[in-house]
Amino acid sequence: MTTADKVTDRAGQQSRPIDNEVVKVTNLNKTFHKRGLKALDNVNVSLRHGTFTSVIGPSGCGKSTLLKIMAGLIPATSGEILLSGRPVTGPRQDIGIMFQQPTLLPWRTSLDNVLLPIEIRSGAAAAQAKSADALQLLELVGLAGFDQVRPFELSGGMAQRVAICRMLVTGPAILLLDEPFGALDELTREYMNVELQRICRERDATSFMVTHAIPEAVFLADQVFVMSARPGRIAAVVDVDLPRPRTLDMMTTPEFGALVHRVREHLDMGINGGGLA
Amino acid sequence: MTQKTELHGVPSEMSDAEEIWYSGKWIDRVPQWVSISVLGASMLGIWWLIAELEFVSRILLPGPAETFEELWDTTKNIVTGGHIAEGLWITTQEVLWGFLAASLLGFVLGVVVGETRLGQRAVMPYLVAFNALPKVAFAPVFVAWFGFGVNSKIVMAAFIAFFPVIVDTAAGLAAVDAETRMLFQSMESSRWQTLRKLKLPSALPFIFAGLKTAAVFSVVGAVVGEYLGGGHGLGELIRFAAQTLRIDRVFAMIVYLGIIGLLLFGLVAWAERKLLFWHKSEIFEIQGTG
Repeated sequence: MTTADKVTDRAGQQSRPIDNEVVKVTNLNKTFHKRGLKALDNVNVSLRHGTFTSVIGPSGCGKSTLLKIMAGLIPATSGEILLSGRPVTGPRQDIGIMFQQPTLLPWRTSLDNVLLPIEIRSGAAAAQAKSADALQLLELVGLAGFDQVRPFELSGGMAQRVAICRMLVTGPAILLLDEPFGALDELTREYMNVELQRICRERDATSFMVTHAIPEAVFLADQVFVMSARPGRIAAVVDVDLPRPRTLDMMTTPEFGALVHRVREHLDMGINGGGLA
Repeated sequence: MTQKTELHGVPSEMSDAEEIWYSGKWIDRVPQWVSISVLGASMLGIWWLIAELEFVSRILLPGPAETFEELWDTTKNIVTGGHIAEGLWITTQEVLWGFLAASLLGFVLGVVVGETRLGQRAVMPYLVAFNALPKVAFAPVFVAWFGFGVNSKIVMAAFIAFFPVIVDTAAGLAAVDAETRMLFQSMESSRWQTLRKLKLPSALPFIFAGLKTAAVFSVVGAVVGEYLGGGHGLGELIRFAAQTLRIDRVFAMIVYLGIIGLLLFGLVAWAERKLLFWHKSEIFEIQGTG
């Protein structure tokens, strides 16, 4: 046990484990006993360092549940999640999370919202010491000069960019994105997708995003997990090998269209296979 | 570039929608001070007419002129430190102590009720039920317990003003949005941190709504306590004036009761504006005037 810990610790600092695997989810099951609902059935996920994974599926397929279990917010019924070699048993500092709503505290400035995770975990002095980093992050997402602005003065897209900074400020090993741009209008959403791609590339981030939109899933991802419902399972994995950086123009190419088509086919199969039709 | 359009896009869209929505209403083209003045003058006119035509006996309903004259006399009495000044001061003290006790007790117990599962599930239903009772009916009980002096009035004021504070505080703590709570969970926030940094600030609009109601209710409580007898407060003076059919004097003193309530309410509203600069209600005000 201790030797294994040492090995992974060293691996985490210097050379990464084999295959650059950051997250490994093995035989994950989740049953909500109260509702007698099998939300996740034997889910296996492997995320490599620096890759972007999209998860798409019909409502109620358990994709949000999967994300929350990976974040340590709700317990699994059985199975194991390893993040940087250590099992996830609860919330951790090296897990970054973002929701559909920006969930900014309206009485705090952008800067203080970004520093909130540091303040909660390590106190106000530690947060103060991180201000320079936070300002740099705001600059990274295109909000230079907005550090003293309060959320009510920000548009929806800008608020989500502050939420991105808050997620990044602790330097997480994995970014868990739960429909992060689902509440934005279509144009802002497309623009934010381009921005997210840029930010993830600059930070060399490992990301896992739940979404409802097929083009968004394909546009951002190196691999798309297609889930089917009742019970929630990963029905197919579609690899996206489009070159990066991707542009919005690429969404009109035949290659992009073919990938969207493949994801849609798997989605339809999953829904039919799930006994809904 | 996109930041600027995004920043100014939202409010201008909202005011556009409002303009379209209201464009047909004539009342929106009249300046508000005009509509307020016209309505006030009409009400005074109707009052004057009813009194002048003696639909009701002049003794039971004095006209505006007599009432304003009496109000002037009352004011002179207050300024020169007469017996009405004394009554006003006694009632003011009862209201303030009652309000203070209700606010502190209501806030502390509201936090306990709103923060604990037991409080939310077992205590809160009782509070809601109790809140629906006509609380002035308890006034004789307090007189029996605390005597005819100032104490029973303070207790009555506190009792009636306490419920909106505790109910609103508890409701405010429970109303925090689920995703934000999950965010705090993901940051491994302790219960105390979540309370201090998330729940209490989020609950402030609710708490201030409760305090504003309490400001009005504490005046009601003090006066009801005084009506039951004893003491030398404004309520006692009003009761005496009404018994001797000096309705004009009753009206004049009710104006001063109203001033106590308005001042206290204004104080709470001022504190709210200072503290809740980030809240929607305040933001719309800023945009409305600017």
